[in-house]
Formats: sequence, C-alpha cells, structure tokens
Amino acid sequence: MDFDAIVVGSGITGGLAAKELTEAGLKVLMIERGRNIRHQQDYTTEMKTPWEMPFRGLGDQEMYAREHAVQMLNRHFTEYTQNHFVNDAQNPYSKAEGTDFNWFRSYQLGGRSLTWGRQSYRWSDYDFEANKRDGHGTDWPIRYADLAPWYDKVEEFIGVSGAKEGLKQLPDGRFLPPMALNPVEQHVREVMQANWPERRLTIGRTANLTEGKGERGQCQNRSICARGCSYGAYFSTQSSTLPAAMATGRLTVITDAVVEKLDYDAKTRRITGVRYLDRSTRERKTATARMVFLNAGAFNSVHVLLNSASEAMPNGLANSSGVLGTHIMDHANTLSAIALMPGFEDRTTTGNRPTGVVVARYRNMDAMDGEGHTRGYSFQGGALQSTWTAGKRDPGIGAELKQKLQKPGMWRMVLVAFADCVPRATNRLTLDPKAVDADGIPQLNIAFAFGKEERAALAQAKADAGEMLTRAGGKVIMGFDQPGAGGTAIHEMGGARMGHDPATSVLNKWSQAHDIANLFVTDGAQMSSSACQNPSLTYMALTARAADAAASMLREGKI
Amino acid sequence: MEQEQPQGWSRRRFLGGAAILAAVVGVPLAAIRLDLFDKDEAPSERQRELMRTVSQIVIPKTETPGAGDVGAGDFVLLGLAHGLEKSRTPLPQDAPEALTRHARKDGSLDQAAWLEAELDARAKGDFLKAAPEVQAKWLTALDAEAYADGVREHPWRTVKALILTGYYTSEPGGSQELQFNLVPGTYEPDVPVTPQTRAFSSDWTAVDFG
Repeated sequence: MDFDAIVVGSGITGGLAAKELTEAGLKVLMIERGRNIRHQQDYTTEMKTPWEMPFRGLGDQEMYAREHAVQMLNRHFTEYTQNHFVNDAQNPYSKAEGTDFNWFRSYQLGGRSLTWGRQSYRWSDYDFEANKRDGHGTDWPIRYADLAPWYDKVEEFIGVSGAKEGLKQLPDGRFLPPMALNPVEQHVREVMQANWPERRLTIGRTANLTEGKGERGQCQNRSICARGCSYGAYFSTQSSTLPAAMATGRLTVITDAVVEKLDYDAKTRRITGVRYLDRSTRERKTATARMVFLNAGAFNSVHVLLNSASEAMPNGLANSSGVLGTHIMDHANTLSAIALMPGFEDRTTTGNRPTGVVVARYRNMDAMDGEGHTRGYSFQGGALQSTWTAGKRDPGIGAELKQKLQKPGMWRMVLVAFADCVPRATNRLTLDPKAVDADGIPQLNIAFAFGKEERAALAQAKADAGEMLTRAGGKVIMGFDQPGAGGTAIHEMGGARMGHDPATSVLNKWSQAHDIANLFVTDGAQMSSSACQNPSLTYMALTARAADAAASMLREGKI
Repeated sequence: MEQEQPQGWSRRRFLGGAAILAAVVGVPLAAIRLDLFDKDEAPSERQRELMRTVSQIVIPKTETPGAGDVGAGDFVLLGLAHGLEKSRTPLPQDAPEALTRHARKDGSLDQAAWLEAELDARAKGDFLKAAPEVQAKWLTALDAEAYADGVREHPWRTVKALILTGYYTSEPGGSQELQFNLVPGTYEPDVPVTPQTRAFSSDWTAVDFG
C-alpha cells in the first residue's frame, strides 16, 4: 500500500482528518480536486482597496452570468473572492424537475474552509434525539455525551470566540473571549430576556481568534475573511490543519486531482485505494491505502460512492441499505424580519466585527410549542447602520445628498431564520443517467424540496421575529416566511446517513461504512438530521472522533 | 486577452486626457480599464462627457472632489456595459417606445444612450450646453420622477446607483469624503457620533446590507 490512509478533499473536515490521522502516526495522502492555494502567498486580493479593482469589488456581472451563474447568488461571492468559488459552467450539475437548488462550491486546496461563515455551534441532545422523537429519518447512534469531548478538542484547536450562556439547547464550549454586542443588539437582548426568558440573544460563536494562537494572529476586525487571511485569524485548512499535518512529516498533498471512484475488493470487502484524474496531465491514476476517509463535501462524497458502483455493489459503494444519496437536507433559510431601530442615532461603531448575533432555538424543546412543525429554528443577524448604498434607494441629488451620505445612517436590526430541515427519502442525489461533465464523469442530479414542516417553522419564525423587534422599539419594514432555494444556507448535508441499523443507514456510529470497514465518511454526508445550528463544528468533532477510532482500529488490525 | 480598441478610443488617448483632468482638479483618478469595454459597446466621447457632467451634479465638489472629478462617469459606463445593477436585464415586453428605441442587441436598455436622449429632450437641444444650474434643475426633476410614489423601476435609478458606487469606491470618495480603514485592528461597539463623525466606506456590512 502506498499510504496508511487517503483523505479525499482538503476542506474543513478533510484538513482535520489529515491532521488527526498524521498526528496519530499514519502516513496520509490528501487529494484535492482544485488548485493549490498557498497560505499568505496566494490571497491575491486580500489587501486590495475597491479602487484597485476593475469593477470596484462588484465584479463583472455579465461574465458572472455566463461563468458563475450559481455562485454569484452567494453573498460572499464578490470580485475579491470570485477565485475562491467554482466556475459553474465548467462544473455542471443537474436538477430534478421542480427542484430549485443552488449548490455553492469552492474547489481548491482548503475548499470552503476559505470561504465559510465560521459560525461554530455545538448541537445538543434536542438535536441528536430529534429523529427518534418525531419519527422522521433514522435515530442517531450517538448522543451529545459521545461528542462533547471531541467538541472540546476541536474548539481548542481551531479557536472559537463566544459567550457562555448556560443553554441546554446550545451547549457552551471552550471559548476564546467573546466579541462585543453593539448597543442596539444589547438592547434587543435585554428586551428579549425581559419578555421571553427562554429566548437568548448572544454574540455569534465564530472561529475567529480574539487572542493569538501559536503562529496564528489575532483577528484584525476586517471582516473580509473570504479573501483569505494572512494573519491566520480564522480557521481554515491553510491557517490551521494543513500546517499541523505537514509538521508531522507524514502528509502528502496532491492538488488538481479529481477522485472519480474508489476501488473495492469484493474478496476482502475492503477499499484498496482511489482512482483519480490528474487534471494537469489528463492522466488517470491510482493511489492505494489501508483505509479511505471521504471528505469531499457532503454531495461530492456521495457522488464518489455512487460513481464507485461495481459488480459487487451495483447500486453504489456501501449501499446495501439502498439509502445512499437519500435524505439530503439544507436549513430552510429566510429573512424573517428587518426593522428600523430608532433611538440610537448618537451611537456608532468602528471596525468590522466578523460575526453577527444568534438567537438560540427556543421552540419544541421540553414543550412542543411549534405551530405545524416539531423541530427548531434559530435566528442569526445583527444590528447595522446604513451607509452610502442607501442613497441608491432614495430620491435626492447634489450637495444635500452628499452631506447626508457622509454620516453613518439609520440603525436597523436583521433576524434571519435557520429552520431544521426534515430528512426525507425523496430529497436525494443520484447520478444523472445522461449528462456528464467535461471529464466524462456523470453529473450529480439533485432532487430537493422543502416541505410543510419547514414552511410552518419559517412562518412562526417570521411572526416571532417581528414581535420581538417591535417590542424592542423597532419598526419592521420587511419579513418573509418562505424559504430560499435549497442550498441557500450552504449547509447541504446528508446522503450517507449514520444509524444503528445497516439495513437503513450507510454509516455506523464511528462514521464508518456498515458495509466496508476501512471506509469512513466524515463530512456533511454523514448527517442523519440537520438541527438548526451551523453544522461545521459538528462535522469537525465527528471527524476527530472517527479519526481517533480509525487509527485505533488500524493499529489493532481490525481494518 | 486584451481586446482590440475601437476607433477614437485609445487607451493612450484616454490616459492622456485623464492626466490633464487630474492635474486640473488635483485628485488622483481612479483608472477605469477601457479594454474592458466590448468593441461595439464603447461609449462615445459625448456620452463620456455627459456622464461626467451628470455624475458631478449628483455628487458635486465640496471640500472633497465630486463624482465627475474622480472618474465616476467612466465607471458608470463600464458598469452599464457589464451588467452592474442589473443593467443588462432585458426590457419587459410592454416597455414604452421611449426605452425600446434604445435597446441593445441583447434586449436590455442602453442606459447611456437613453440618458443622452432624455436629457437632450429636456434641454430641447444640447444638455451639455445648458448652464450648470439649469442642468441641475432638469436632473432634479428626472430624479424626482424616478423615485415618485408607485415607480418601482426606472433607468435613472440604475445610473444613479452606479454614480454613487463609482464615487464612494474611488479613493477620494472612499477615503476623503468618507473614512477608509482596511485593517481596523479593533472593534469598538459603542462610539459617540459627533458633528465630525464620517461613515466608513470600509464598513462592508453596511455597504452590503445598509
């Protein structure tokens, strides 16, 4: 065997898998489909001002419509960050009839760890018990206690700033000092607590360093993270896991290499390695290892498994259950309320805090008080002031307009709902029977729709958000109760769900394929439910836990 | 790949003119890359002059330069050609003839041509030859019409949005008229507003969502 382990993908979980496995003494190959991006050296727009950009940061919208028709819908996609997102024209996917799904992707070393929102929340047993309680999906084979020490480990490594609140539904972690609420947010927090003691607004828990950590510098409050951060102040593969893995001397990295399929030996019932296309030479190559970690991103990991069908496993690798590709999810996401917040005109802020606020879930916990839904929703958002862009919306020209736009504008408070997504068998990934990409690989087909539960949750969220902001003295000017397209939350997950029963799930409690002992899937594909928190921290905790288990199994000759 | 320049539209000529302008008004010009115009969509010299004039009326020179001074006019033209502010959205089927007569090949409105015709019509002649205060009066009227109750879309809104963008993302607009700090270092959550307070053009959240 060439390696002890192959890690497919170099994003948030791939990087962590490489770190954990190499630190456990294993010789690891990490394969990334995209180009190399070197920390600090290749963040080409990081220090650019708007006036140095051909389109002043807005980008060539005409070109985007041709080349980045999906990615341009992502609010983090700008002229500064466009090179950190895929070219949609070159990376097509298909959608089932009636499906509205925007798949936001970053194919490069570091994957979406370079562009992620950095919000880092623990799940609770309200989340791990959700499927069992209401009967949707399949029961998780783990509970919060199984994951708590791994959350500790990951938080201490990546650095998460946040405030301890003692909430059962949003467990506290090993936090760096929290970032500060502004006066409007502090006011809304106080009004909320006075009127609804079970509702808690707190500062976003974000993987930005409020204190330096080793080689990584403290956050400079620029809030331009997705350009890449030479300070290493937010968690990314480049800033954090890759240096740690490389320091072991046991990591090999290959970029521009698209894994097409895994090789499976039916006699030993083991994976023997991966087949990949070297994009620079156009050669098809193989690499072998004693085990494989799939971390290609939820949908792409499922894609690899489906595309690895063989005579022995005609429906896709590790798919004796037949559920591979099913029960995909994304948080139902919408702007619940935006309100003008008068009374704070004499206050402003300086610096750019790289996080907003979060209102922890408060529905359907010990009392089932959801109207038409059985799970939770939480809000993210914050209070901000308008600026010169407000001048686009209002009449007026001349010196008076210029004078008006010179000052910080009106405060407004925004609450965006993230609602739990029910796992449904009909929401699924398949290989498109006809369409292939430029490399001849079948395109992934996405079939996805939100259901009545998510719509009911967002309707209640809208009512709640409006009521809370009105009670805080705000004047609500807009709010929605319908979800955006699937993928809008950029929390797509599921498709290779974890479960107790090999007949109804793909992975066991160690993120290990029921069917194939030396195959682990530790990205978002493993998720059995969605909760309403941002999932990346949980993916990382599961990855660290799985890597520890896999290394032990390897040492003990069990795989 | 650099595209072929249309006749009368050389980069050298533009930069020469720009340097003279910069010397006159005393501000650094934000260089607009003229090679980014498609050959058949390059604006005329008159459209450039018109857009510079209009930009200057929208954001005039005060203690800091005006929008025309800093090259916002050329930015507007570039932005219109490249779909900023949804400028390449096809006109609706029932669009009035006053707009459809200025449609581009792709069915979108050529806002620069529309504005030129619209302002000349208001001037009953050459808008550029009118006195500045009269030009401002016509533009104020156009602005009021574009933002009147019940009006949801209007080509002037697109042009005005790009004038503001061109100005506040220029160095003088972004860092003299407003404040600019790419590396703040700290976040101060509660700062009193004083008469001297100026907004930050580098407050990206405000720019995106404000």
